[in-house]
Amino acid sequence: MIRIAGFPLVWGASTLLGLALVQPPALSAEPAPYREMERPLETYIPHASGDRKFSNTYRYWKDPKNLDWRLAGNPDENWKLNWKFMDPPFNQAIHGGHFALDRGESLYKFLNRGGSFAACLGAGKGGLKGLRTSYPRYDKTLKRVVGLEEKIQICGAIEGRVLENGSYDNSAISLYIAGFSKGMPMRIDVSKGPLKEAFERGRRLYHTRAGRMNFACATCHIHNVGKHLRGNTVTTPFGDVVHFPVYRTKYELQSLQLRFMECNLDTGTQPLLPGSPAYTDLEVFLSALSNGYAVTVPSERD
Amino acid sequence: MLPHLIAIGWGVLGLAVCSLAADLPGNLAIDPTAAIKTQVPRVVPNSGRLQWKPHSRDLTEWPSLGYQDKRPTPKPQVTRLEGPSNGDVARGLGIAMDPARGNCVACHQLPGDAWPGTVGNPLLHYRRYGHQDAQVYQQIFDARVFNPNSVMPAYGTFGILSDQDVRDLVAFLQSLD
Ligand code: HEC
Ligand code: HEC
Repeated sequence: MIRIAGFPLVWGASTLLGLALVQPPALSAEPAPYREMERPLETYIPHASGDRKFSNTYRYWKDPKNLDWRLAGNPDENWKLNWKFMDPPFNQAIHGGHFALDRGESLYKFLNRGGSFAACLGAGKGGLKGLRTSYPRYDKTLKRVVGLEEKIQICGAIEGRVLENGSYDNSAISLYIAGFSKGMPMRIDVSKGPLKEAFERGRRLYHTRAGRMNFACATCHIHNVGKHLRGNTVTTPFGDVVHFPVYRTKYELQSLQLRFMECNLDTGTQPLLPGSPAYTDLEVFLSALSNGYAVTVPSERD
Repeated sequence: MLPHLIAIGWGVLGLAVCSLAADLPGNLAIDPTAAIKTQVPRVVPNSGRLQWKPHSRDLTEWPSLGYQDKRPTPKPQVTRLEGPSNGDVARGLGIAMDPARGNCVACHQLPGDAWPGTVGNPLLHYRRYGHQDAQVYQQIFDARVFNPNSVMPAYGTFGILSDQDVRDLVAFLQSLD
């Protein structure tokens, strides 16, 4: 059993507690604890093209229709394609993401039989089309920024269904919803208001060192892009978000925040629960770095 | 002098661990009643719940990224190793290569490894640099004393390796000619 903030939490049995899980960062007067930062803390252009000034691999992956497949065959150049959703051996027609999509469709249709699930998720006249591209967003009812998977959990609970953030069913619905935005560019506006604040917090957090090794996300994803870490090559953080949730052999279906947990665990840092404010801020930051890049689902990587 | 320093370091950690179960910040993926509190999520097909299993190591004693986590990062610690390291070369080699302990080879080139890391500088002929044992000890114990932005883990300060482990590593590096 997982215990949050001292309360034993039985998921589903208490929806209220489930909702209470995520509090906005405490605005306490306490001084910030001593932390070290990975520098430089750059400004970051909140658009996939911001990569031009970063790894400058954008020219290889900005137009998915005109990929230079010669790069794909070369282990030293492959990473420049930033084509993580087509890790070899890739077969468009058969991978676990498609089963998840089917599952997501039937769950969604069941939950939305009265139409209230879609409304809760914030679907407008256009239905689910484009919905994925505008998450994370500021939620007027909750008065804070939420990611799509967290919102699915909340709206699922209202319909009486347990859809824990990060669970297969939650991610399957997220995937189904993302399918309606396939080919549409991400477009979250971090130029003002609560999303800008979340972006700024996420940017700082991305550079904040933590854990047993005292690594920040930026230690690898900013300073070691293109370098090898065991069998992996780190790619640019621009344009990542569009292929999540992604089918992974080890994780079945992995939401973006579960990926944060994985990277935390891999570097000896105690992971946070999906939906925690710090992870949501990181999600806002990374989503903004995917602005202008088309949603691509269902996807697979090893 | 040195063992004393380390003893202080552990004393502090020990205390922290005792009061931890009650005091751990919110939002951590933990089971506070388990022997290893750090939990790993498992995605179960066709289920609305995550399954959790213990991680291979408890990570709760180091700061996380959580906003409620007010525990400070351990500050750089100066050490004073006097005299030779008196370490065990063979043991040092083992620690350097072991992914669960030093894992130095993840970043540094060391003899006998085909796929060396390139993040740190090669240590193939380390003895030829002619560094004092005390300096090498400090570099492994807490490299931040020399370079505040070092990415090399502070093995001593963070309690990853013991005084003896670090001495063994120093002896091992100083044996590389
Ligand atoms: C020690 C290195 C390291 C650290 C620290 C690290 N990661 Fe990663 N991360 C990797 C590697 C290696 C990969 C796989 C290669 C890739 O996708 O670039 C990866 C992949 C990812 C991906 C998936 C990219 C994709 O498009 O599929 C995300 C998202 C991510 N990391 C986020 C983070 C965040 C957020 C943090 C900090 C909380 C973090 N990482 C810390 C090494 C690291
Ligand atoms: C995450 C990467 C990383 C790991 C793991 C790592 N190091 Fe380092 N190491 C570095 C870097 C980078 C430097 C360069 C100086 C600095 O930034 O501190 C360095 C420098 C050194 C030096 C100084 C080299 C000189 O020129 O005198 C020694 C000695 C050393 N490391 C030993 C070790 C040992 C022993 C281990 C394992 C117990 C280890 N390192 C693990 C990254 C690493």
